[in-house]
Amino acid sequence: MAMADNFDPARDMRAKKRRSVAIALVLAGLVLLFFLMTIVRLGGDVVHFFD
Amino acid sequence: MAIAETYLPGSRVATVGDYFALLKPRVMSLVIFTGLAGIVVAPGHVHPLTAFTALLCIAVAAGASGALNMAYEADIDARMSRTASRPIPMGHVGKGEALAFGWWLCAGAVAIMGLLVNALAAALLAFTVFFYVGVYTLLLKRRTAQNIVIGGLAGALPPAIGWAAATGSLSWAPLVLVAITFLWTPPHFWALALYRSDDYARAGIPMMPVVAGKTSTRRQILAYALLLAPLGLAPYFIGLAGPAYLAVAAAMGIAMAGCAAAVLFERDTAREPAARRLFAVSILYLFSLFAALIAERLIGAWM
Repeated sequence: MAMADNFDPARDMRAKKRRSVAIALVLAGLVLLFFLMTIVRLGGDVVHFFD
Repeated sequence: MAIAETYLPGSRVATVGDYFALLKPRVMSLVIFTGLAGIVVAPGHVHPLTAFTALLCIAVAAGASGALNMAYEADIDARMSRTASRPIPMGHVGKGEALAFGWWLCAGAVAIMGLLVNALAAALLAFTVFFYVGVYTLLLKRRTAQNIVIGGLAGALPPAIGWAAATGSLSWAPLVLVAITFLWTPPHFWALALYRSDDYARAGIPMMPVVAGKTSTRRQILAYALLLAPLGLAPYFIGLAGPAYLAVAAAMGIAMAGCAAAVLFERDTAREPAARRLFAVSILYLFSLFAALIAERLIGAWM
């Protein structure tokens, strides 16, 4: 069968893990970006925001 | 058998690199650069993190549009030697997977632009994606030789998006930058189409050299280059740029028009060396002009 020639479970598992790590890093980056932009948009009033 | 359906001959699980290749990183770099120019030359102060977020959204939306373009044109890419090794024709990424990847990234980029930067920049970004994917890729590309002329508007809009991100408004100044990129697009892509005309003909894409012939394309390339050269000077005359930009734009405008004239009088129609040279010079033209704009403004602010 054609797929047997280049089907490598170990290599595919590595690729899947790298994809998962990349998605996790992107999501973490987005969380950080939203946090920092919130601080920037609140500006100097950030300390008194909940007063 | 389920595995046989998933693993086509020569295929494998998509890697991070495959998804990155879907984003057309080289095109993305030019879009980031012109978007940055829009942010830098805009009046007033913009927080560096806001500028970074805007550029990130522009880059991601541009890349995602590239992924959608590759998904919708997978059949064409498979027939052209220049694009046959892209992830979808190679079977590394499925068409549906690329569509989901592209549309989610586009939606995310527009949403983040709207939430973290401003609504006008987000609306312009959404329009750019719509124009590139909906109008250029799905409507024009396979139907008319004017595909890259009209579709070029999508690639030309990033300076306006950058300006809108920085100011929350639009004016004539960023539209001049849009017009420069818009007029730059036909000579750039038709130069490529001249020495890849067999590829385009085989794929059934009605590029100008395939439809109107090489002679007509050469004339049109020169006409656009002659229109572009004076328009490239306009930012100086509307007060958007200084003398350093004027010198760079004048020199590069002459170089581009000279290369376009060489394309018109090309004798080696098999290898098309003049068209290859024009393609390279056109990339240098756009980078030089926007680099001069950015450098002049940054040096001015620093001094």
